[in-house]
Amino acid sequence: MPALDEVSLAVANREFVALLGPSGCGKSTLLYLIGGFLPVETGAIRIDDKPVEGPGPDRGIVFQHFALFPWKTVRGNILYGLERQGMRKKEREKRALAFIELVGLQGFEDSYPSQLSGGMRQRTAIARTLAFDPKILLMDEPFGALDAQTRALMQGELLRIWQRTPKTVIFVTHDVQEAVYLADRVAVMSARPGRIKTVVDTKFDKNDPGIFKHEAFVDKVDEIWRLVREEAIKAQGARRSEP
Amino acid sequence: MSALSATPATRRSRSEHAMLLFVRYSPLLLLAIAWELAALLHLVSSDALPPLSSVIVSWFGLIKDGTLFTNGIASLYRVAAGLGLAVVIGGVLGIAMAWWKPVNVLVAPIVEIFYPLPKSALIPVTVIWLGFGDASKILLIFLGCMLPVTIGAYNGARSAEQVLIWSARSMGAGRLRVLWDVVVPNAMPELLNGIRTALALSFILLVSAELIVAHKGFGYLIGILGANGSYDAMYAVVLTVAFLGFAADRVYLLITKQALAWRD
Amino acid sequence: MAGLDQAAIRDGGREPVALRMMRGIGWGFARIFSVLALAIAWEVLARSGTFTPFQLPALSAVIERIWSDGVSGDLWINTGLTLYRALTAFFICAVLGVAIGMAMSRNLFAHWFFDPIVSVGFPMPKIAFLPVVILWLGVYDVSKITMACVDAIFPVIAATVIAIDGIEKELIWSARNMGASNREVLTQIVLPAAFPQIMTGLQVALPLALIVTVVAEMLMGGYGLGGAMMVASRFANSTGVFAGIVEIAVVGYGLVKAMSLIRRRLLVWHPEAHEPSTA
Repeated sequence: MPALDEVSLAVANREFVALLGPSGCGKSTLLYLIGGFLPVETGAIRIDDKPVEGPGPDRGIVFQHFALFPWKTVRGNILYGLERQGMRKKEREKRALAFIELVGLQGFEDSYPSQLSGGMRQRTAIARTLAFDPKILLMDEPFGALDAQTRALMQGELLRIWQRTPKTVIFVTHDVQEAVYLADRVAVMSARPGRIKTVVDTKFDKNDPGIFKHEAFVDKVDEIWRLVREEAIKAQGARRSEP
Repeated sequence: MSALSATPATRRSRSEHAMLLFVRYSPLLLLAIAWELAALLHLVSSDALPPLSSVIVSWFGLIKDGTLFTNGIASLYRVAAGLGLAVVIGGVLGIAMAWWKPVNVLVAPIVEIFYPLPKSALIPVTVIWLGFGDASKILLIFLGCMLPVTIGAYNGARSAEQVLIWSARSMGAGRLRVLWDVVVPNAMPELLNGIRTALALSFILLVSAELIVAHKGFGYLIGILGANGSYDAMYAVVLTVAFLGFAADRVYLLITKQALAWRD
Repeated sequence: MAGLDQAAIRDGGREPVALRMMRGIGWGFARIFSVLALAIAWEVLARSGTFTPFQLPALSAVIERIWSDGVSGDLWINTGLTLYRALTAFFICAVLGVAIGMAMSRNLFAHWFFDPIVSVGFPMPKIAFLPVVILWLGVYDVSKITMACVDAIFPVIAATVIAIDGIEKELIWSARNMGASNREVLTQIVLPAAFPQIMTGLQVALPLALIVTVVAEMLMGGYGLGGAMMVASRFANSTGVFAGIVEIAVVGYGLVKAMSLIRRRLLVWHPEAHEPSTA
């Protein structure tokens, strides 16, 4: 069975879009296609009207399990993308330091990933991707491997960073509340083979700390949760016979 | 695994399976063909590399005049005896070490010290103790193979989860009963793996010793045939013993797969 | 910004250096203690008369023999020669083995060709091919080194293939994402990522190269630890034979220790070297 069915999505510049759906619906696959890590079988992915042909630094990706180079320090990881760009040494070091500060990892520049906690590793991964200034940020359930408290903190962090250096973000998640909170629009995907079921507007005032209790917010989460739930049940059914 | 799944189960037909095996091992067939061609075309001196065909012919010759059997039986007897002793004594020792602290304290340092010693270094010593016959080889194989078996048994026995042991005790099993019913079965996978290592090691020690200090056996036969200039027969025996080592490993895997069936 | 996660780890999870050193010394003492205990047991047993001096020469006699070999220079010649052969074989098979392993994981043809050779060859007593090697290459160093190579290359190939196949694909994707070319991915990502497992394979290969060298020397005679032992054996000189065992054991132990020290230095970043941290 193919991972994705007909998918059609347009994302505007500097928009924060979430891809939401049950496990196995192909949302990560879609992200990898955009990133150019998997070949497209039918159809095309275009950025500014130019088709995507393989991975490249214009679409930076952050993975769920960080994918940090374990033999490099925090600084070394962040420098890697800059080295590939051919940036000069002084510039690279300055820029790496700036991003280390941006994600709040001062003092840990020379630590190895194995010495860091999950939250710190994820911040390193984000800093690493942001450092080479991609136009588009692809995030594959980046907070999925973190515990609930760290996840909440990181969501706030991400918004803070995004507001400072706005980019187009495509964010994959299966957490409805996270999607509604972070994104401008949420694309709800169906169970495998994935299609985009609906796209919902979710622009809220993200700087309001009480946002999670507002009626409008709660209603929106509920509405989207109902859409996702149908698909989640279908996805379960495909793996087990129904009672 | 659940009965229904979204992806269809793959099942291969017998002939597909055979085809895959053939493709997988075909480079060996190609090497055999290349060997024959190289010898026939005189690409290499026919002394150093006799044609595969004459090797096969002399192999049959060795079978017919019984030389291969007499020496083969001698070698296999030595392996069986040495390995058998190592498995029984090593297995018991390893489990005893895991179960009774005093045994561990006494034996563990000995194991640790002899671990890095290459067992083939013991060839001359077993010879000056027991001469050129069976006994020295059996002793060598026994000493060499003890270590992997003991370590496997030890690690396997130690890995028995405390909760399993407690469950058994609470169901009324005495200490010895628990040892037999819980610890030993639990130790099986690692023990069997240790025996697999010992099996390969036994062949290596056997051949090494027989090449250097023996009056019969595969290794001895190889040496004698080489000294006589009967190179095609020598190749035949070399390939026989190499193949036996490989076959022993595969047969062992097949047999033990049954014993480990409960694991996954 | 100081998150809860930062507060939870002080020095990145490392324990203070002093404590680590003490722990290391503790283990060293335990090992030295057991060696000493064994040495004393040997000497006592030898002198007790349970065995004849031929069957079990006293440790003191063996040490005396090693000492006189050292003074006469024989010890150094033999040890040096064996080490030279074993290490040469090791380096050749390390380079070749990693190259073949890499080829096997990236190239379908290389994989098809080498896979049956490796999987059939692994459990074979390859030492049986020693007479064939001698037939081809004569009775000099070349054949000893070749034989050791043939034996020791297998664990290196196996480890390399497993290592490369086991690399997280996201690491490679990340590098590609940052603009790395194919060659850069190979040298800057694949090799470092595969290194720990390859190193393990090398740690298995080195003692293997040593022992095969010794066996080859025993068969072919001449200088070298194996050859010297066979001479002693032929003259029924049990002190000499035991001296040889001790010498080989020491050399073997030294090589293993050296490798694990090298591993520790090169893999300072590896998770196995650190306490796991929270979250």
